Amino acid sequence: MKLTIKTVLIGLLIALPLGIFAETGFELAKAMEDKISPKDMKSNMTMTLTNKQGKTRESTIRSISADDSRKQIIWFLAPADDKGVAFLKIEHADKDDEMRLWLPAFKKVRRISSKKKADSFMGSDLSYEDMTSRELDEYTYEILGEKVVDGIECHILESTPKAGVTRTYKRFITYVSKADLVSILDEAFDTRDKLLKRRVMKFRKDKGYDLPTEIFVENVQKGSNTRLVFSDQEVDTGVKANLFQEKNLKRMPK
Amino acid sequence: MKQWFISQSVDHPKRSIIITVLITLLMGSGLQHFVVEDDFMKMLPQDIESMVALNELKDEFGSTDLMFLGFGKRGVDVLNAKSLATLWDLSHELEDIEMVDEIMCISTSDKMESIDGFLEVSALQEYRDLDEEEIDALRSYLNDNSKIKTRNLGEKGDYFNVIIRPVVDAKNDVLVGEMERVVATHLGDYDVHWGGQAYLTGALPALIRNDVMGLMRTGLIGMLLILLFSLRNISAVGTILATIILSMAFMMGFNGWMIYLTGSDKFLFGVLNTSMPIILLTIANSYGVHVITKFFRKMRTNKDPKAAVEASLNSLSLPIFLTALTTVAAFLCMVFAPLEPLIGYGFSISAGILWAWILSTIFLPSVLVLKKWNPDAAAVSHPSHFERFVIAFGEHVIKRPKTVLISGAIVVIIGIFGIFQLNIEVNMKAFFKPDNPIRQSLEFMDSEMTGSMDLQLLINADLKDPEVLTQIGSIQEFMEKHKSVTLSISIADVIKQMHRMVNDDDPAFETIPDSRDKVNNLFTMYSMSGDPDDFSSLVDYEYEKGLATSMMRSISTSEIVVLVDEIEVFLQQDEYKDLNITITGLLIVFRDLVALIIRSSFISIFASIIIIALIAAYFFKHWLWGLLAVVPLSAAVILNFGLMGIFGVDLNHVTALLSAIIIGVGVDFAIHYISQFRTHLHNHGLDGNLSRETMQDVGFPVILDAASNMAFGALLFSMFIPMIHMGGLMVFAMVSTSTATLTLLAILLELSKKHLARIEGIAVPE
Repeated sequence: MKLTIKTVLIGLLIALPLGIFAETGFELAKAMEDKISPKDMKSNMTMTLTNKQGKTRESTIRSISADDSRKQIIWFLAPADDKGVAFLKIEHADKDDEMRLWLPAFKKVRRISSKKKADSFMGSDLSYEDMTSRELDEYTYEILGEKVVDGIECHILESTPKAGVTRTYKRFITYVSKADLVSILDEAFDTRDKLLKRRVMKFRKDKGYDLPTEIFVENVQKGSNTRLVFSDQEVDTGVKANLFQEKNLKRMPK
Repeated sequence: MKQWFISQSVDHPKRSIIITVLITLLMGSGLQHFVVEDDFMKMLPQDIESMVALNELKDEFGSTDLMFLGFGKRGVDVLNAKSLATLWDLSHELEDIEMVDEIMCISTSDKMESIDGFLEVSALQEYRDLDEEEIDALRSYLNDNSKIKTRNLGEKGDYFNVIIRPVVDAKNDVLVGEMERVVATHLGDYDVHWGGQAYLTGALPALIRNDVMGLMRTGLIGMLLILLFSLRNISAVGTILATIILSMAFMMGFNGWMIYLTGSDKFLFGVLNTSMPIILLTIANSYGVHVITKFFRKMRTNKDPKAAVEASLNSLSLPIFLTALTTVAAFLCMVFAPLEPLIGYGFSISAGILWAWILSTIFLPSVLVLKKWNPDAAAVSHPSHFERFVIAFGEHVIKRPKTVLISGAIVVIIGIFGIFQLNIEVNMKAFFKPDNPIRQSLEFMDSEMTGSMDLQLLINADLKDPEVLTQIGSIQEFMEKHKSVTLSISIADVIKQMHRMVNDDDPAFETIPDSRDKVNNLFTMYSMSGDPDDFSSLVDYEYEKGLATSMMRSISTSEIVVLVDEIEVFLQQDEYKDLNITITGLLIVFRDLVALIIRSSFISIFASIIIIALIAAYFFKHWLWGLLAVVPLSAAVILNFGLMGIFGVDLNHVTALLSAIIIGVGVDFAIHYISQFRTHLHNHGLDGNLSRETMQDVGFPVILDAASNMAFGALLFSMFIPMIHMGGLMVFAMVSTSTATLTLLAILLELSKKHLARIEGIAVPE
């Protein structure tokens, strides 16, 4: 399972030289999957959760990820109530992912698990499934047409889980930028085929990568939303593999 | 004006009939806009304190009006593969209903476990089909978590408890219908029980209306049979029936047009409006009976229908107009009622009454004029046995003024004493007879599940503060000590459970942590693997408002009052003062609402009596007439409520509305009597048998009117206890108002006739 903030973040992408024309839905999806991504990434994220009554909660976190975001470590910087809490996640192809949480008040590291992919990530409108890149072979694809979204020309790509593949969603409609092959807008439909979530993404170019600057996810049925704003992004800084260890949860590196 | 009315029926009977029928049809066409509304929640006033608190609660936590569904098989462990699969299918289909916000049961709940150092939040029932090992694990988890077990299983483990949280503003009646449809497809093999105030508010209105409407048809047939027996003429009874039907069509059509023209919910026809047709029926019947009996009496001397109609209208125009006016005034007092539907009720029934008056003074006499009457027919030429009996009764009364007066006074005093014994009760369970399936369901939910009521404590405090959480735990312990509380749930329970899990599932740590940082860490930990909505019914987004919900067995209104008082006394202790707790829930709203209805009913009774007295005083030209006009209905009101107290008939919103019927009909009898008394006084002075002649003129129609309305004693066969009480009280109201008129009022007039003659400027012999 590719569980990544970044993958999420992006919806994701990049591989083929830009501008290559995709004839079929599968080719378009593959072109997005094959786009290159950074070896590692450091960033600060401000996550604003808004519930249906319009009340908000804001958290700031520091994230470092590597190995195509299969390894990730997060430290909570704010609010004061959460400061010091840290989270480590390492994905494994052949066994359950490792997720560990440092609880400073208890001075304990606790392993956590979520078997339900539909569960919310950090109380947000993003689920663990949303954070996972869609396995190319598990879906069928169809290009439904073209549309201009926020001034960007897009392909309209429909992805539907193949028979036998269990997913929280019945299908997705993704608006893929023709120029950059990135997802600009993604709509997820629940098992009753009713629109459940709408995800809007913004990117910037850096070192040949399309890096996310903002992700806005709206749960249409619940009326809540989550906005993630990225700052201080650095890519390919040579993050060492031994950073992703339990002992590093207790103190954030400078 | 009077002559114009008389001329319409005497000189232009066909035209009058056509015009009145056409107007009725025109107004009746409003029926196309008539809307039946069974959503009880729509009827509740939004501005009473408890409702404001409840709405605030809903804004923050979603609906708290829970419905409960219990199903299983007596004596069979419900934790088996088949039942769990059924629960899975049922709960998921119920979740798909748009008006359902949340289903809480084993199939939809999460569990929190500490497994090999992992904190895991996962589904309590992960799949539809569980094997034996998985069922054992589930059983073991429930046994280790008593609160979760209590919430999800019956006391003996043979029933599932499913809690349904509707969306805010759900139409409970529609929701109940949809849920029952889903339940019928899945639970054919199981015993099914429903509970919860929200369920009852959804299920009851249609049941009550259908029950009452059915019994009303029976009552109408009974009324017609009594009329037929007494009047001995099908045409006469048919004419009264036509007057009733046309009045009814006019009122219902008016109601429809008002909805169409104003768009106001005040005119929706709900459960409170159920009594509207019965009341109009009795009033229209009353007008018809008075005109017909007077017509027959006049026919005995005149033999000419036209002349008899003219003489009857000459005598009855004023009293019928006055009865209509006073009754309308009484019903318009409902404009100040706390419930919006009662405002529409007041307007619509007033329109119906005014049309009944028009019909009985134009349409009905026109029919009488056109009909070819045989002056020698027994019905016309001779008084019936019933009429002769009433006349004889009147004779006896007039001969014993002091005895009658003292007896009346004693009865009224007993009534006053009884009023102080009145018991207010709105426990909906008490609405049903013991053998009723709904009541049996509620009793089952009370005895074996978590009960069928719920009460909420809204806590405004810092809900991450360990001290506050500990205090909430103490309050829950206090609540759970009450015999009716089966379970109390709050965020403190979740914190305790998380605290235990983070400490390797050590039961010693099932406590509130000792620091705020630890509480924070637990919330953050949960957010990493649980659904943020898991807490949404327990705590608000900012952790500043929390909800402690107590599941309860049904208790009476008086017990609710005691319980709320006990909670308030408990919360007044110093340690809880800073928590700023509001006791709320649908239960509290009902308690306040019924108190409000009863209070406003009594206010409207007094207001109606005063207005009626003023109107009577104005038209009869002296305050004493006004005072005398309200004597019978005042005595009847006192007697009715007094006897309710003495015989233990509960006062609730249904029985409180009975006063409207008493006043509506009671005043009519008195006005007819006074009007006739004055006519005789003016025609014959104090010579002759003033009271005897009045009694002969008015006694029979009053008693016939009362007797025919008593057919609504059919309500005694209702499946709802308040309706049974209403049926009984209605019979009694007819007896009391008519008797009070023909005894108390008759004697008071007899005893004060000289004084009254002087008031009227009639010579009084020394």
